[in-house]
Amino acid sequence: MPDQERDFPAALFSILKEILGADGFHADEAARLVYSRDASHLTLGQPLAVALPADDSQLRRVVELCRAAGVPLVCRGTGTGLSGGAVPGPGAVVLGTSRLMEFGPVDQSGRRVRVQPGVLNDGVSRHAAGCGLHFAPDPSSQSAATIGGNIAENAGGPHCLRHGVTLQHLLHLEWSDAQGRLLRTGRGVEVERGLDLVSLLCGSEGTLGLVTSADLRLVPNPPDIATILAFFPDLEDAARAVVGLMSDGLAPVAVEMVDQAMLVAVEAAFSFGFPTDVEAAMIVEFVGCPEEIFEDCDRASALLADHGAREVRAAADDAERIELWKCRKKAFGAVGRLAPGYVTMDVVVPLGELPGLVREIQVIKDDHGVKIATAFHAADGNLHPGVHYDDRDPDQTRRAHAAADSIIRAALDRDGSITGEHGVGIEKLHVVPWQIDGEAARLQRGIKEIFDPGDILNPGKLHPPADASFRQVKTLPSGIDFRWANLTVTAPADASLAEIQQVAMERGFWIPVGVFSENQGIGLGSGGTVGDLVANLVAGPAFCAAGTARQYLLELWAETGDGRLFHAGAPVFKNVAGYDLVHMLCGSGQVYARPLAATFQLRPIPESVGCWRFPMADPLRREADLVRLTSYLANRDDGLGGPVLMVDSSRGGSESTVVLVPGRSRPWDLGRAGQDMVDILGVSGSSGHLESKFGQVSEILDGGLIPDWALSSPDWTFFARVPGKNAGPKTWPTEVDRWIWQAAPRLVWSPDPAPQLPGWYADRLFTAGRLVSPGAPATGVPLDFLREMKVLFDPSGALETPPWLEGENA
Amino acid sequence: MPDPRATATVTAASAEGRQLDDLLRQCVQCGLCLPHCATWLATGNEVQSPRGRLLLLGELLRSTGMESGSVPVPFLQAFDQCIGCRACEAACPSGVPFSLLEHGQRQAAARLSDRAAGAPKPAVPGAVLRRMDRPGWLRFLSLTAGLARGLLEVVVGKAWRRRLDAGPAGAGQLVRLLGSMPASPRADEDLSHMLDKLCGRRTGMDGRLAQDVPVQTRDHSEPGLRVAFFNGCANAALMPGTSRRFRDLLGWAGCRVEEPFFQDCCGALASHTGRPGRAAELEARNRKAFSGALETGAVIVAEAAGCGHELRNYGGDFDENVIDAVVLLAGLDLPPLGRVPLRVVYHDPCHARHGQGIITEPRRLLAAIPGLELVEPEEPEVCCGSGGAWGLRYPEISGGLGRRKAANLAATGADLVVTSNPGCLGQIADALLLDAPDLPILPLTDLIWYAVQQARKSLPD
Ligand SMILES: Cc1cc2nc3c(=O)[nH]c(=O)nc-3n(C[C@H](O)[C@H](O)[C@H](O)COP(=O)(O)OP(=O)(O)OC[C@H]3O[C@@H](n4cnc5c(N)ncnc54)[C@H](O)[C@@H]3O)c2cc1C
Ligand code: SF4
Ligand code: SF4
Repeated sequence: MPDQERDFPAALFSILKEILGADGFHADEAARLVYSRDASHLTLGQPLAVALPADDSQLRRVVELCRAAGVPLVCRGTGTGLSGGAVPGPGAVVLGTSRLMEFGPVDQSGRRVRVQPGVLNDGVSRHAAGCGLHFAPDPSSQSAATIGGNIAENAGGPHCLRHGVTLQHLLHLEWSDAQGRLLRTGRGVEVERGLDLVSLLCGSEGTLGLVTSADLRLVPNPPDIATILAFFPDLEDAARAVVGLMSDGLAPVAVEMVDQAMLVAVEAAFSFGFPTDVEAAMIVEFVGCPEEIFEDCDRASALLADHGAREVRAAADDAERIELWKCRKKAFGAVGRLAPGYVTMDVVVPLGELPGLVREIQVIKDDHGVKIATAFHAADGNLHPGVHYDDRDPDQTRRAHAAADSIIRAALDRDGSITGEHGVGIEKLHVVPWQIDGEAARLQRGIKEIFDPGDILNPGKLHPPADASFRQVKTLPSGIDFRWANLTVTAPADASLAEIQQVAMERGFWIPVGVFSENQGIGLGSGGTVGDLVANLVAGPAFCAAGTARQYLLELWAETGDGRLFHAGAPVFKNVAGYDLVHMLCGSGQVYARPLAATFQLRPIPESVGCWRFPMADPLRREADLVRLTSYLANRDDGLGGPVLMVDSSRGGSESTVVLVPGRSRPWDLGRAGQDMVDILGVSGSSGHLESKFGQVSEILDGGLIPDWALSSPDWTFFARVPGKNAGPKTWPTEVDRWIWQAAPRLVWSPDPAPQLPGWYADRLFTAGRLVSPGAPATGVPLDFLREMKVLFDPSGALETPPWLEGENA
Repeated sequence: MPDPRATATVTAASAEGRQLDDLLRQCVQCGLCLPHCATWLATGNEVQSPRGRLLLLGELLRSTGMESGSVPVPFLQAFDQCIGCRACEAACPSGVPFSLLEHGQRQAAARLSDRAAGAPKPAVPGAVLRRMDRPGWLRFLSLTAGLARGLLEVVVGKAWRRRLDAGPAGAGQLVRLLGSMPASPRADEDLSHMLDKLCGRRTGMDGRLAQDVPVQTRDHSEPGLRVAFFNGCANAALMPGTSRRFRDLLGWAGCRVEEPFFQDCCGALASHTGRPGRAAELEARNRKAFSGALETGAVIVAEAAGCGHELRNYGGDFDENVIDAVVLLAGLDLPPLGRVPLRVVYHDPCHARHGQGIITEPRRLLAAIPGLELVEPEEPEVCCGSGGAWGLRYPEISGGLGRRKAANLAATGADLVVTSNPGCLGQIADALLLDAPDLPILPLTDLIWYAVQQARKSLPD
């Protein structure tokens, strides 16, 4: 153990000790050794010291002091990262968040909670359990990994299939930049346009800033869960079954798989009693009401059997289901029993490529003479092939790493990504140039220089050297290209969304942002172009949407202000290779870059949609009734499509409460929903009702129940509720007369001109039929950084420059 | 007689070193053990975590070996601060046999005492500590402590524990010791009265319903199970009432209970305080004392989870025939249990949960009591921080862990905490005095005994 204390800047040493106290500062040889490692088994040397701040201000003081002293800082959660993100270089100070573990109160109706970065992932769900909510991202390491680490790596997990990865569950971040300034990402509202710093920080591996507090989105616990277990004699059949399952329009919440080698390891470790003579075991999970999941499980079981499953059965009860998941989540640990060394990859491919990749991995395995055990987040196209070897044998070690690189190549050849969950860290630096083009890499380095000019924050991670040979820019697509097996659609910026949705819905899919058919005006059911959606996040009041563009956008081609073409993202459902330019730019208008083409994820459409018009309730009870109605509807949002409510109270508003509910045309679903709403409103029945297949939604749009103002108005403003301070029972801004409430994302739209209303953030999207670009960001968002970003992306100022962005740096 | 295990030099070159190295390599460094480790939770320092300790041990094995001269003090401190609760072992998906590795650590940590720099001084003088395994001493201590507590209640008031917590550091430790003397009512009436009151508080009714009919003992046609009773020091000295009631229960369930006369302390304290010689001596004595009982096919029941764990570690026929009190009770045909309308939370002693894998049995026993609502706390697997002599050496971490445990137990909204190890009982009782003075804690067996009494009351005349 080299003695580095001599080199340590002594003054810094003693100030840190004073600020942090004896419990918060460790520079002994035990601490330096322990904190030199993480779950990746990689190491760069020993850090100088370990700082464990007990609050925000201590954290920022550490940052400030280290920057002043030129000492690199490596943030660390619990060191469960698998790419070496938290591994410090010699001479660095490790800043651990293990003493920042406070929870804020759960905001039950707003479905959010604020936590400190050291809070453990599954602690959040336990904290929210009393409110019937949970935190959806569930990495297998969830019992130990921190929220800060999840954010920095944009962690995924089995249930991210339905709900999306960590990024989709972040509403707001507070963070310290490299100077120790306490900054914010925005207003913390459900939808906010502008350059998205949450998307940028999420997945940035601690290289741009340190997260000091996070507002997390929570999702309701499902009413019922059913889990099927299937065994396949043939691995490729199993992979094909996954593609079949998803192309059939089923919407499981999780589809997980392990291959035979993994199954044998798990069986040896935990004796669950699974057969080990099969090549694959698969878990498929559905949630919903009992009738619904019964139907889905039936359909899925038949499908899996058709694809060659030898045995398909349902978990008998909750206990067995929990056991199954335990088995899946412990799989990684179980491989520790296979061999002392391993490389675990987390490549992703477009879903349809899964069977091909599985086949190729078998070939690679044989060619290199290595042992591989694989776990799959199967329906995400994300797999963890683990190459196992004895790290005391140099030849085995060399072959293992060669095999790993071949697998990564194979995934990239299939339009995949080098990493879907674990990040680049130091482990994958050498393969980043295989995936990212030189222009995108230049922009990423530019961002790093803006946020961290002194290269203090986690230096040497995520960015390959500037002189690496990066790939060429991926060819710009020229027309609309549906890839049904992949569940994606790629289209140029000028493609009409309505056209895309029409074709997709005929096959039972859509981009769940809620636009359908060409319409005269702008409003519910209208659409613009792909480029408009990418630039503005939302297309207007949305018909049964299940989110914004940011949620379904996978890949982007764009042009900088000075006409340089770059490509970001990949046509896969998870991708954490480098900074997330795709989602950062989505919603930023045409200020930093001009979108040229994009790939979106396709999701199954809800089966049907019901439309009801209810007579006006007693004016005295009206407000209370509507609050109850919206909260009922909010609970029906299942991630596939969300309900919508339209209210007009301008002229006493008779006959003007109209509701859209997606679901199934069965007595136990839409039938019951109608009755429930009648009960909630205390009316004798609806005064109009239509129901149609979701794909024939024009029947509803043209059916005369939806008020004209909702379908075609030249002006639209959306309102998003500001959390915290103004919390009250208000579900919509009561000052507006005509409004459309939508469940997902939770927004209220109004065609009426509205002033800034207390407690509500208002963004005017359309004026006189024209899109308005995003307004100024909230205080606390670093304008200086935004101005420098503007220069980086648009050095000549060729693109639009809103007045608030003009300033000394621009 | 020195323990041979304690003197073997473990270097990577030796066979044992290589074996340890192989075990260490089974650790994939995943970190999943961290949140289960009490010392990590208390300090936030990964050096004080299972993975951290394994990394340090690995470093020692691979570099300098464990020759005393070359082991840095911070390494020794890290090993010494391990409570040995084995929560990490239960949590590890990779099956790292932490208890085997721990032996390597202990061996290294044993050197700590030689080094003034690293060795923390226990709050209790060594002479007192070493005699803790003598029932006479313990009884003396408990009497003194009881008197002191009584005095404090009069002088300082009912909230003495809380008021005195803020006092000077040394005094604080003494107060903590007073608070953490394991105790439970000696007289049956006192226990019943206390629980009656609790039930009354919950139901709003007078818990003392009429009737007093004899316990319906089971009519066993076949000869009852032979049980050799192991009388733990703490139980015998500090909670004699509980021991007696436990024997009552065994009798009612048709067991034939015998109490081998020359038995002694199990030796756990001796090995924890680094006196392997004394531990071996005690083991030999107990083996002899119980040999007769074992020959006649009796099982040995240990009332305290800690004793049971230590006895089973003797190995051989002890490993097979020692049975934990709770496990035994859960398998017996007990007399009918009456209504106990309480919300109860069970605290798992590490020696039971991690040391012997006892998780379902106590819960099954409790769930069988009519009217009782069993609730689960957060972090059920995390050590309460008692750790016997460990707690005296690291009072601050230990005290913090006790309060963390008490907070988790209190957060369940329970009326009563039950557990099955005197060390945990005392540690949690003290923390409850500080943070949740209205929440009592009792041995699990006392509650079962009370439930049997309740059945007598509710029987029709
Ligand atoms: C057994 C096992 C299973 C796993 N399963 C999954 C899985 O299913 N899905 C998945 O996505 N990952 C998985 N992982 C990987 C790992 O758990 C995740 O990457 C996790 O998010 C890391 O969290 P951490 O707290 O351990 O972070 P660390 O490893 O400590 O740090 C990771 C990175 O985050 C940065 N960081 C940490 N905190 C902050 C902060 N507050 N602000 C800024 N940067 C910060 C660090 O600098 C570092 O770059 C698994 C790992 C293991 C060992
Ligand atoms: S859980 Fe097991 S394998 Fe993972 S770090 Fe801890 S001891 Fe090692
Ligand atoms: S035995 Fe207990 S204290 Fe020691 S490392 Fe394991 S969990 Fe931590």
